[in-house]
This record gives sequence, C-alpha cells and structure tokens, in this order.
Amino acid sequence: MTATLFSPNTLLLDKHADYIAAYGSKKDDYEYTLSEYLRMSGIYWGLTVMDLMGQLSRMNREEIIEFIKSCQHDCGGISASTGHDPHLLYTLSAVQILSLYDSINVIDVDKVVDPFHTLFGVAGLSLLGDEQIKPVNPVFCMPEDVLQRIGLQPDLLN
Amino acid sequence: MHGRVKVKSTAQQEEEKRKEREKKLKAFVSARDAVLRKRSAGEHDEEALQLTQQLLSSNPDFATLWNYRREVLLQLETSREKDEVQKLYESELHFIEACLKVNPKSYGCWHHRSWVNTRLPQPDWTRELGLCDRCLSLDERNFHCWDYRRVVVKESGVSVEQELQFTDRLIGSNFSNYSSWHYRSTLLPQLHPQPAPDSASNTSPSPTASPQIHSHRVCEEQLLKEYELAHNAFFTDPNDQSAWFYYRWLLGRAEREEMISCVYVSRERERVSVAFSKPVHAQSEGLMLVLDGQPQQVEWRSTHPRLRHSPVWLCDLPPGSVSDISNEHNLTVHWTEKYTHRDCALYTGCAESWCRDSATDQELFRSELSVEKSSVLQAELQSCNQLLELEPQNKWCLLTIILLMRALDPLGHEKETLAHFQTLKEVDPMRSSYYSDLCSKFLIENTILKMEYAEVRVFSLSNKNLTTLCHLDQLLLVTHINLSSNQLLRLPPQFAMLQCLEVLEADDNAIESLEGLYHLPKLEEVSLRNNQICKLSDLESLASCTKLTRLDLRGNPVHKTANIDSELSQLLPLLCKSQAFVV
Repeated sequence: MTATLFSPNTLLLDKHADYIAAYGSKKDDYEYTLSEYLRMSGIYWGLTVMDLMGQLSRMNREEIIEFIKSCQHDCGGISASTGHDPHLLYTLSAVQILSLYDSINVIDVDKVVDPFHTLFGVAGLSLLGDEQIKPVNPVFCMPEDVLQRIGLQPDLLN
Repeated sequence: MHGRVKVKSTAQQEEEKRKEREKKLKAFVSARDAVLRKRSAGEHDEEALQLTQQLLSSNPDFATLWNYRREVLLQLETSREKDEVQKLYESELHFIEACLKVNPKSYGCWHHRSWVNTRLPQPDWTRELGLCDRCLSLDERNFHCWDYRRVVVKESGVSVEQELQFTDRLIGSNFSNYSSWHYRSTLLPQLHPQPAPDSASNTSPSPTASPQIHSHRVCEEQLLKEYELAHNAFFTDPNDQSAWFYYRWLLGRAEREEMISCVYVSRERERVSVAFSKPVHAQSEGLMLVLDGQPQQVEWRSTHPRLRHSPVWLCDLPPGSVSDISNEHNLTVHWTEKYTHRDCALYTGCAESWCRDSATDQELFRSELSVEKSSVLQAELQSCNQLLELEPQNKWCLLTIILLMRALDPLGHEKETLAHFQTLKEVDPMRSSYYSDLCSKFLIENTILKMEYAEVRVFSLSNKNLTTLCHLDQLLLVTHINLSSNQLLRLPPQFAMLQCLEVLEADDNAIESLEGLYHLPKLEEVSLRNNQICKLSDLESLASCTKLTRLDLRGNPVHKTANIDSELSQLLPLLCKSQAFVV
C-alpha cells in the first residue's frame, strides 16, 4: 500500500493536543453546533485523550465544571448541553469528567443515583463511590480488574 | 480568451462556502433557540411541530426535540377523534422515515417510531416488517433495525419458524451476514431446544444449579444440520468470518464450575492461601474458615494491592493455632455464596499441606470448545482439515483447527498447534501479537498439564517465544519457575499469586517491570540476566521478599548505575545484610 510510504508511523501528539485544545472555541462552526446534542460526551472524549497525553491542564477546568453544573436538572439527571433534556449517556459522561477532575461533589450526588439502571448506570454508580460495585476506571470506562487482567496501563502515550 | 470556461478561483469558492455555512448555522441557531424557548414556556402547538420538524429533518439525532415532539403529540391527541389521531401518527411515521433516510442509525428515530406504534389506534405491523426488510437490504448489519424487527415480531406474533426462514433467505443469498447468523443462534434454541437431562426433572433443584428457563443449546439432530449449513458457508467463502463465528458457537463453550480450586496451608507462616475458579472479591463472597471444627475470625487479603478482584486470596490463622508440627489439623474453607467448600488436612510432621483438583479434572483448559462429544469434534476436525488442503493459508480455518485440536487433545496435538500458529503469523501478520499471546497461553496450559502428570512443582517454559503470562493462579504451589529465553515484558501483579515460589529464572527476556515480585514469602533466588530493568525504583517491590538471598541483574541497564552495590544495599537491606550474593 503506497499510503504507508508517506504516512507517519508515530502519533503527532503535539498536533493532536493542539487540535483538541482549540476545538472548544469553535462556537461559530456549523458541525460543532449541530453536535450540541452530545456536547457532554464530546467534552469527555476530548478530556480523556488530553489526559492520556498528559495535557489535561490545557483544558479550561472551571468553565467545564460550570457547564456541568448548569446541565443538572431537578430530577438529578444531566443533559448534553444547557436547555437539553437529561439522559443517562450524558449523566455518565458528566460523572466521568468530574472523576477526572476529582470534583464529583459539585453536582448533587444523591440525586444522580436515581436514573441508573443499565451497564452505563452501573459504571456511573461505581464512580460515585458505590462500594457494592467494582471500581471502574473513568478514562477507559472499564472495570479496573479487567484492565489489570489484560495489563492495560494508562500511560500509553508519552 | 475565447472558449475558455470561466472557473471561479479557489478563494472565491471558499468564501462562498463559508457564507453558505454561516447562513445555515444562523438558521439552525435561531430555530433551535425558538424551540427551546417555546418548550420552557410550555407551548404544545402546531408551531412546535413545525420547528422541530425543520430541525430534526437535518439533525435527527437531536434527542431533546423528539422528547418535545412527543409531548406535543400527546397534547394534540386529547383534542382529536380516533381517526384523526390515526392520521396524525401515520404522517408521523412518514416523517420518521424521511429522517431515517438522513441517518438510518439514529437512536432517536427508531425509538420514536416504536413509541408512535404504541399510540396508533391501528398499527400496521406488515408495513413495519416491510420497512425492516428494506432497511436491512440497504445495510444488513443495522442493529437498530434488527432490534426494531424483534419488537415488531413480538408485537405482531410472527412465528419463530417464519423468522428462521427469514434468516435462511438472508444467509442463502449472502453468506456474509453476521447479524443473520447471530439472529439464527437466538432462534434455534427456541425452536429446537436441547432436552434437559433426565435427572433434573426427578430431583428437587439443588441450590447450585443455575436457574435456566431454557438452555441456549440446540438439540443434536438440528445441530448436525447446522454444521452442514456452516460447512457450506465456509467452504464457499472461507474468508468470511461470520460463518466461522457461528460455527464456533455451534461447537459450544463449556462454563467452568464455580468452586474453590486449591487450598494451601503453611505452618511456618500460619497462613492459608485459597485459589478460586474465577476472580472474586473475597469480602463479598461470604467466606468462612473453619479450623478443627471451630469457625475462625480472619481477614482476607489479596496477593497484590492492585488486584482488588483476584482468584487467589490469603489469610493469617490465629498465632500458635497450627505452628506445632506434632499436631494434626483439619481446615475447611466455605464459599457460602456458591454453596461449596474445600477441605484440607494438615498432617503431623508436615510443614505444609494442600488440596487441589487437577487441571484435567477441572476441565480447566477445555472451555473454548468442549460441550460437544469427542466423536463430533473429531469429525469436524476432519472437515476443517479437508478445507485446509484446499486453502492452506486461510486464517479462520487454521484458528478453528487449533481450537478443535485443543479441545480434543492439547498435549498430543502440541507440535501441530505450534506449526499452525507459525503459519497464522505469516498469513495474518497484523494479528501476530494476538497469535503470539494465544500461543503463549496454550503453551502455559500444556506445561501445567505436564507438571501435573509428572507430579512435580517445577514449571519450566524456556525458549518458547512466550509473549505473555496467564493462568498464574494455577501456579500457587510451584516452587521453581524457569521462564528464560522468551519475550516477556513484565512480571505483572498477578505473579504475586505464586506464594510457594523459591527460585525464579527469567534470564534473556525484555522484562522492565517486577511489580509481581511482591511479598513472595519463600522467594530465595532470582535470576534476571539480560532484561530491561532500567531504574533502581523498578526493584522496590523486591524489598518485600524477605527471604531473598540471591539476585542476578547482570545485563540490565540498571546494572550500569553508578555505585550499584551501595544503592542496592540501601534499597534491599535484608538481601545485602545476609551475606547475600548480589550480582
């Protein structure tokens, strides 16, 4: 395959990090606006990649935490973006983001517990500290024991 | 110049595109803001339907808008007659279909369609089934459509036979249809279930029997027909994986019995080591330790802090309870959650004792394919070998043959298996790491079996291209281990399960991490020549192995550290104090 002659065989980590760091400021971009319905998950994906690259500090932690606070509804669930309806997917993404930032308690944790009834929900409960559930790694969104068994270390990209 | 087509410059085109997108964005944003405003104001009217329709037509994944739309429709229902409601929802179905054309995999669309069918006074299931057929003909693996189809089938009472015929048609027209094969695997056990064993109907169900309403297995007669179907598929197109995966499902996968596989007692350390058939969290399993008829208050701990779920757990007996070698003791570990237990007798004059089922008895390594009878597996192996003659480089065939050989006779077929793995790595180099790891696993399994037949506690697997370690929970009793001349990268935390290890030889690997050499109470000699241990901190865990007297680190980057001797004596004081031989 001729493509391999010209394609890099290492990750261009700095460029990837720059791209993601700049992504949030694309507020006048059509595709960015159209994907508002999954914004919370998009933020989570960007943050985990930055974390894997050791560049989490380049993201605006305060702004993101305020955004999450504005997305929690009375029922306890969290929406993808301001004004959207709460949903399990985005509640989990929010909990994962707050785990990364060690700031679980900026939301009303007791209220969050109600909407969880699925595998995603169980992961969320684990991150919220439920002792009856296996510990879950927020970056990989997998149980810690599975990561141990397959020998997957988080410091992949250095 | 004449005859020259006027082409806009790239800059102009770019500018036009940018203006176009800006326009689109503005329209979207103003519609979105209007909708969200209306929603907050609690307005449920035609305008809401129009606005949401406009937005959803180009962005059907905007889930909140479907929620709003449902609120509006429910409101409108209250002021309409039945036939008007029918029309209202029929046009809704029409709208959803248009959205599905934009994104046939939109969760929001399919969910909304299911909901609409619950509101329709007269749902038309035939039409819905037709929609599924059409969607699947465009994309046979659209799982949204498959899920929706299952709902339609259930609601409209389509029979299992009809659905099975449906899969016949799909598979018949195109063998490469993973979803159809998968659907088939769920239908067959309903139509042709394997009859339950006779004993189950007569005796009262024991607490250990898992409550199965129906088996996931298929009766033998039908199974043989399915083998033929699978053969047709992979003989016709050996490179398509779906038939191969279906075939592996047919051959069956045994569930390992949940039990305590080994109990080991050490008088000197007054410690009990327990190996379970799967990783557990000891504190949640209702474990009870009984010594000479007396329940003991013990604390269970894992062999390594990173292993919070582990197959091996340790506990300390009350001091003095078993230390007198002239006394005999009886120990029982109860796993109350699974209604099972294991006894272990510690005899007079014995410093240690254990009780263990052999790997053969536990059918430990046969769980890949072993539900079928040997005769069936043998016949299937023959068929696959026939195909291999025609297609010697087919990776699916090679891999399936390996699995069949392992199910039939892992030790007898070892040589052939290694040869096939070599071929696999050549024909499918992108997965060579997977094959190396899988081959390593099988070699470890074979070595465990050989170790048991020889009734020794020495595990030797050197110069075998090992790339990974597994089944370390099965090596609880091993005293000597030789892993030299392989391609190992680390001794993982699981290595700490080798509670009886005295001698470790792991020269000539690429080991960087020694995490698993952690609190190994009997470890005396460690040889790690020619590895990749780089920093002194990589050796930290060795300080917890208090009986260590010999450590060979020659040929490692760390060995070149300045003042290595004094550094080591600080890091591992016990090792160096005891007139040890540190190289």
